[in-house]
Amino acid sequence: MTKNSGASPQDNQQQDHEPHDQRDPRHALNSLNKSLDKATRMVTQGLVKGFGNERWQSLTIPLLAIFLSLLTISVVILIFGNNPFDVFRGLLAGAGWWPKENYGGGQSQLTDLVGLATTLTPLLFGALGVVVALRAGLFNIGVAGQMILAAFLATVLVGYSDMTAWLARPLVFLIAIAVGALAGALIGFLKYRFNIHEVVSSIMLNNIFMLTVSYFITSSHQDPVSRNMRAASADARLLTEPVQLGEASARLPVGFLLALIMAFLLWFFLTKTKQGFEMTAVGKSPKAAQYAGIKIGRTVIVAMAISGAMGGLAGVTHYMASVPSIAPGVLPGVGFDAIAVAFLGNAHPLGAILASTLIATLVSGATYMSSIVGVRQEIAALITGMILLFTACGGYLRSWLDVKKRSLADANANTDDNATKGGDDA
Amino acid sequence: MAEQEILLEVKGVTKRFPGIVACDDVSLDIRKGEIYALLGENGAGKSTLASMIFGLYQPDEGQIFMRGKEAQIDSPNEAVALDIGMVHQHFKLISNYTVTQNIILGDEPKKRALGIFPYVDIKNAEKRIEELSKEYGLEVDPSAVISDLGVSVQQRVEILKMLYRDAELLIFDEPTAMLTPQEIESLLQIIKNLRDQGKTVIFITHKLDEVMEVCDRCAILVRGKLVDVSETKNTSPAELAAKMVGRDINFSAKRPTKAIGKTVLEVQDLRVEDSSGFPKVNDVSFEIRAGEIFAIAGVSGSGQTELADAVAGLTKVKKGSIRLNDCDLAKLNVRKRCESGIAYIPEDRQSVGLVLDFSLDQNLALKSYYQAPFCTSSLLNPTAFAERAEKLIEDFDIRCARGCKTTTREMSGGNQQKAIVGREIDQDADLLIFVQPTRGLDIGAIMAIRERILDERDKGKAILLISLELDEVMDLADTIGVMYAGQMLKVAPASTLTTNKVGEYMMGVTEND
Repeated sequence: MTKNSGASPQDNQQQDHEPHDQRDPRHALNSLNKSLDKATRMVTQGLVKGFGNERWQSLTIPLLAIFLSLLTISVVILIFGNNPFDVFRGLLAGAGWWPKENYGGGQSQLTDLVGLATTLTPLLFGALGVVVALRAGLFNIGVAGQMILAAFLATVLVGYSDMTAWLARPLVFLIAIAVGALAGALIGFLKYRFNIHEVVSSIMLNNIFMLTVSYFITSSHQDPVSRNMRAASADARLLTEPVQLGEASARLPVGFLLALIMAFLLWFFLTKTKQGFEMTAVGKSPKAAQYAGIKIGRTVIVAMAISGAMGGLAGVTHYMASVPSIAPGVLPGVGFDAIAVAFLGNAHPLGAILASTLIATLVSGATYMSSIVGVRQEIAALITGMILLFTACGGYLRSWLDVKKRSLADANANTDDNATKGGDDA
Repeated sequence: MAEQEILLEVKGVTKRFPGIVACDDVSLDIRKGEIYALLGENGAGKSTLASMIFGLYQPDEGQIFMRGKEAQIDSPNEAVALDIGMVHQHFKLISNYTVTQNIILGDEPKKRALGIFPYVDIKNAEKRIEELSKEYGLEVDPSAVISDLGVSVQQRVEILKMLYRDAELLIFDEPTAMLTPQEIESLLQIIKNLRDQGKTVIFITHKLDEVMEVCDRCAILVRGKLVDVSETKNTSPAELAAKMVGRDINFSAKRPTKAIGKTVLEVQDLRVEDSSGFPKVNDVSFEIRAGEIFAIAGVSGSGQTELADAVAGLTKVKKGSIRLNDCDLAKLNVRKRCESGIAYIPEDRQSVGLVLDFSLDQNLALKSYYQAPFCTSSLLNPTAFAERAEKLIEDFDIRCARGCKTTTREMSGGNQQKAIVGREIDQDADLLIFVQPTRGLDIGAIMAIRERILDERDKGKAILLISLELDEVMDLADTIGVMYAGQMLKVAPASTLTTNKVGEYMMGVTEND
């Protein structure tokens, strides 16, 4: 709504501009300026009205960021000569939110949604890991390394054995939690004991874990055909046997529900428990936390252990479900997308659910969109990038709205009738 | 010398900040070639006045004349153009630049190589800086990197920065606050050199001995008002101290102690060092008894806050013992000390005393959130938080827009302070440590908090009060300890000390003993 009311007077004026120009350029310029002013004022007013309420800003600001990025990307798509709505519909259809025109054998909108859930699960786990660390004032960039280490060990220890699914899958989760927690706690320990910044140590550990794992894969666990790690047994993989869904069938991601439950558990932990209170206090003001008698070192290590455990869960749900196995020498992009998702979700566990759904939609809808609209599928990555760019400006948007809100309040007090006139024209 | 021409004249300058008049109708004139001291306690308006001369603030009323002409100094750049320079208390140097780079920054000598390519002429600048440093006796290596230099050398760089810009009037804002005695000695020599070379100096300080040593005249500010201007040679430190403390506050709720009980806190030979091993608290011993207010007076940075932190367990103790109710605290962490009966109102209420982004009820439970009723088997109980908060809001008259759910950051400083005081008093501890409890508060809040302190004393608590406000110390204390440069210079019952006497000890004057 804000977009239309803002753009239309502006466009009209530019069309009017030409004939006026020949008669009296100065007059035309004046009236152009005037209506430009009016237009910007109306856009500002609309934005302030819609997004100025501080209570809801943790929700409305990311929405505004997403809206702005879609607006920007639409321009890019238009330049390519395509209809942006086709692109968006293609993405939604590919991810299962919108019916496709026709489905292949054994596929349906439902199976597409299952595929989305499979992509979403590791992203959500990873984002939760980043969120917990952020709450304690730490920046865990090490999700990728925690993922690869946990998935490798779970595959070697359980995936290559012949345990039944009922034993293997819980064991995979337990190993992921234990390995991830240790890897995360190490970062916390290095920070507490040696004052090594967690960003530095987690980036280093990413490479150490990835290269060590790659060494063991190439030396003893490599699949001769795919050059990746040999895949885990079907019983250990975190996808069920194909389940009949109407006429179609799909393998359901085992970790999906766990990820959703984990998001709620973490929300509860961070807001309703003693330890969560301590973690938040340390994150918001370490000095005050120390003054209150909170043990900073222990809190930091525990926070990083939980964060790492989430990273480990992201690892097994990624490498043992949504992709076949680990590719040596490559850090998983999910581990870094998770950081973005955490910020997009306002560093809130429940926000992470929404944010990871959005990003996973873009990822899993890209191929289909590309095939029916004929736009390269990288446009989906471009949209993701654009959303993150605008999300990163969230603080700026917030303060901009704040300033505009105050100046509008002043202006309204002074020139009340001018403002209402502007409103009537629309 | 008296009939020298006047370089700078300040006429009727007033500067108001919300809730406070920092400078109240101040007029003074500074003669060319003199060292002029601005003397006053913390918050007397010295720095505000200097900042207006240097263009950092604009006066609300009054005028400033430079060389007889009215000057509208809207920014430091204009001050520099008028040949005014200032050395701030906290240096403004870029630590990974060299001395020369720092000095020429903003006024770089540009040259063109081959007549085309512009570059900064470091070489000539270095030569010029070397000449300047020789001329004024400021030993500095122009090519040294700032981060490798000590505090006193950095200060010399700041002075050179002014000289490089041909400053004629040099303002020093508490230049000795961060220096050791030897360094102070050499700085004072430098300042004398500057005067002898024809520069004019404004010297801001609250240390009397420095004024006596180098200054020609000195102006005394008390609460923003100019009280007196005198020739240094015609006055004495005691006289200056009396004027500087200038009591005119009408607080007189002095109540004598009811009964002093057994020893609660006993500190012996306490030594606290900063990270570089410099002693901030140096062999301090004292004891506080139940029903006694032990107030520590001293200028800022004398080691009082470190002392309080050490007792509360926030700083490592190098040497000595702290005993509470005959129980050694050395092995106890912050929380254990708190539980064994120490309440602490820290100096920095915003970054230490509160988590500003927490709601008020969370902050009011910051020290007890882990105990029943706030927390049972690891689960927090929001109702208990709210109930306790409502009670404290009522009892301590904490004003907040949205009740106990107000984000603490949105509250005024006074109400933040009331929240901390309320939380700490509510702990019912045996020892209460108040550091600067009324700083920056309006008179009503000050009264309320002072009343509370006296009430707690009358309940038989031991109170350690640390304040930079001499009035507060004099009005509340039963026993006064004066700290100077980390040492406890004097401990005596309040009734045996006069304000002037305490003022002298605060400045490190002990010769009259």
